[in-house]
Amino acid sequence: MLSRRDFIKGGVALVSIGTTAQSLLKGAVAFAAQHEDATNPAAAGRILILVQLAGGNDGLNTVVPAGSGAYRSARKTLAIPEEAVLPLAEGYGLHPNLAGLKRAWDEGKLAVVRGVGYPNQDYSHFKSMAIWQAGDPELKLDHGWLGRTLEKLESEQHDPFLGFNIGSSTPAELETPAVSIPSVQDPADYGFKVRGKPADASEPRTRTLLKLYEQYPAQSPYGVLLETTVEAAVASSAALAEAARRYRPAVAYPETSFGGGLSLLAEAIVGGLGVRVGHITLGGFDTHANQAADHGELMQVLDEGLTAFQADLEAHGRADDVLVLTWSEFGRRVAENANGGTDHGASSVMFALGSRVRGGLFGDPPSLERLVDNGNLGYTTDFRRVYATVIEGWLGVPHEELLGARWEQLGFVAG
Amino acid sequence: MVDEGERAVLDPTERHSRRKLRRRAFLAAAGGVAAGGLTIGTATLMSGGTGKRREPGGSPPEGEATAAEAGTGPIADPLRRAAHLLRRAGFGGTPGEIAEFASLTPEEAADRLVDFEETDNAALEQRITRANFNLTRLRGGDGRPGMASDMRAWWLTRMAYTSRPLEERMTLIWHGLLTSELGKLGIPRTKFMLIQNELFRRMALPRYDDLLKAISRDPAMMVYLDTIQSSAAHPNENYARELMELFSMGVGNYTEQDVREAARAFTGWRLTAPPRVQLPEGASEAERRAAQDAAAEAYEPEFVIQPRLQDRGMKTFLGKTGPFGGDEIIDIIMSHDAPSRFIPVRLFREFAHANPGPETVTWLAEVWNGSGHDIREVVRAILKSAEFNSEAAYRAKIKSPVEFVVGAVRGLELETDFRATLRFWGPMGQTLFQPPNVAGWPGGPAWLASATFFARLNFLDAFLFPRGRPLRIEALLAREDASGMVDEALRRLVDGVMSDGARGALVAHAESIRDPVERVATVAYLVLASPEYQLA
Repeated sequence: MLSRRDFIKGGVALVSIGTTAQSLLKGAVAFAAQHEDATNPAAAGRILILVQLAGGNDGLNTVVPAGSGAYRSARKTLAIPEEAVLPLAEGYGLHPNLAGLKRAWDEGKLAVVRGVGYPNQDYSHFKSMAIWQAGDPELKLDHGWLGRTLEKLESEQHDPFLGFNIGSSTPAELETPAVSIPSVQDPADYGFKVRGKPADASEPRTRTLLKLYEQYPAQSPYGVLLETTVEAAVASSAALAEAARRYRPAVAYPETSFGGGLSLLAEAIVGGLGVRVGHITLGGFDTHANQAADHGELMQVLDEGLTAFQADLEAHGRADDVLVLTWSEFGRRVAENANGGTDHGASSVMFALGSRVRGGLFGDPPSLERLVDNGNLGYTTDFRRVYATVIEGWLGVPHEELLGARWEQLGFVAG
Repeated sequence: MVDEGERAVLDPTERHSRRKLRRRAFLAAAGGVAAGGLTIGTATLMSGGTGKRREPGGSPPEGEATAAEAGTGPIADPLRRAAHLLRRAGFGGTPGEIAEFASLTPEEAADRLVDFEETDNAALEQRITRANFNLTRLRGGDGRPGMASDMRAWWLTRMAYTSRPLEERMTLIWHGLLTSELGKLGIPRTKFMLIQNELFRRMALPRYDDLLKAISRDPAMMVYLDTIQSSAAHPNENYARELMELFSMGVGNYTEQDVREAARAFTGWRLTAPPRVQLPEGASEAERRAAQDAAAEAYEPEFVIQPRLQDRGMKTFLGKTGPFGGDEIIDIIMSHDAPSRFIPVRLFREFAHANPGPETVTWLAEVWNGSGHDIREVVRAILKSAEFNSEAAYRAKIKSPVEFVVGAVRGLELETDFRATLRFWGPMGQTLFQPPNVAGWPGGPAWLASATFFARLNFLDAFLFPRGRPLRIEALLAREDASGMVDEALRRLVDGVMSDGARGALVAHAESIRDPVERVATVAYLVLASPEYQLA
């Protein structure tokens, strides 16, 4: 396997036509030469992939308290039959459509964190998501929790793909003014097109265009922004294209946009783009009605996507470097409503998946007998404990400053 | 909540949910501009080597340079000054418009734009009628686009072919300031955004107090910021907070208690109920949807106050006590000093540059107070000001995607109804009626990231080479030789201002192409993709 340094060298040849891009990549080569081992050795190259389950995932039907009478009586139609759940431990089991995650559990690669929430749950999607994305229930910390983390990583590593978002715009948790986060929805559109066909920076029209940017006076207002934007675009599209050449999926990804996005993340990882934090969203969890079918389908999309992703990384020998973490802004009400759905709730579950995850159940199960706020599960595990675990235990960055307080880590990161 | 199901249909949660945090980031960034801090983002963006490639501050963001160099004198060339005015107060001029405005004094030119009611716009209205946009049917049908898409094409057409550019410009500014968004409203309420757009156009240059009272009753706004969910028993603070934070005063000028008290004053504000959907016995899913669509299309929401849900008790707000309703809250806000330092400054940033100095801020507040908060007089004063007409303000703002595309259509006098452009707006980062959050589009350097830069270029490629074949651009084909074509494109799109080296590269490239149609389309692509054209 080629090292990142080799790849960057290759990248210079690839875009050597554009002198601006060349100067950038020369800088990157110099950096790679000097700092190949500069990052925290224990965490060097480790990657966090954040999966947002947008809309409020029903934790109770994701990780099911299969034997609970309170669960069954609150959910006359929505309760998953005890014999259908995929058993984990302590009377808990996975939704029947999470068969791939059950295999990961059996292999010790899946951690389940129960009762995750925050004080004074706000039942608004927007407020609650903002809290999770800021990593701060008070919303007083600037930027996103991973944006702040990336600022620390940026001081060690200068890759245009340090953070990488699948989608059209930067998600709030990755936001920071200090690090540019490429958002790619469709890699086919991430590059120059000439008469509708992809073309590289050596194509004559593009070459002339790059000359116009080289000629623009840097001391003019926005002169630097214009030039660096073009440099970043040329370099990152060339890098993405090169990563695509280096990568063949080892498994068949499901033909969902979620599966396609995970495949693009795998491409960036296997292609050596220097990704440390990736982000992807699976939407549609706001199941106020018709939950049984809709949630079941979402569980299947999630399971098939993550299972393919894990298998692909394993086949490429990169599974030890990657930890996948799922989150959602809140769980749902314990009792089902009159429309076969559930309304906004409080605490929920999170998954951590990866070859270097210590599998098992983490966090105390919230009580189904002692509900809070009109029928919701109270939280037992502050979400910032999970963040502290991945920021420090996985990415190797001290978490106290980033989260504004010291949190006890959970034990789901192995050695 | 009524709209949850519709949110799920559009699945806007990913984007929409970031409202709060995004807004905080936006405010932080605005502070960064004032402190000259935004360059950090751009400098580290490409810091590929052992250190930063360029020191932060090597190239100031918009405003910083202009504030420092405000004394660099007026734009001397009348054509260039007219083009600058038409770009900022509109979306760029045709050569004819620029020549016409250049023949006026700067004061006359500003008055002509500001007193736009005196300009006949019949040609635009005829064009709109001919284009036959679907502004009534939610889903179009028979291969026709749905209302949400055609609304976008309709508005872009208005911007591109209006004879009253400031009217459309103000409509766009209000859309970005007093923001609402289709995603949260949901498909059945698409019409609400059209109603709001027409409100902004009708009140393009209002007394600001009146605009705030009108937008508070606007159906789209009432849904977007949850006024329709707010009752005496459960006051919703969303609208009250944004009214003060984003629409009038800015943070730091009111307390959380003021937010709570103001929220009580807007309780009981409702819209009349939509018509009931009549379904035939055993209706199919298609019939059900058709009936629901028909009901949504027929619905004319009207503002009502439901006394049962209204909190008519005493409130103490910004130091005043009384049984206030929403209008009284707005009157109290507008009698406060904070809006005079907030709204006119926002308008100055829209038109002139991002960082007015303290003297300019004081002067703007005087205009605001002296005119009784009349936006027409504030805008008139800005457009006539020495700072607006200075060399330092020239080409010192980044074009938004709307300015980028509409400016190309106007500058090259192209014919389009914009329907073919709609798929490019999301990637370019500005989908009309769908701003990213309650703070609107952040603008400035945020318009240019690697992905949005590619989106701009790939828009140009598709627009100028539809199906791979060059577009016939008559305005440039009149010039025969390559350098003549280049100069005509530069004259129309960048006021003829480009360095000799860059112009030389353009001419050399043009000379390498034999076919005149292809040569012209290529020259247009390169000029529209140039750094000069990205700036307004």
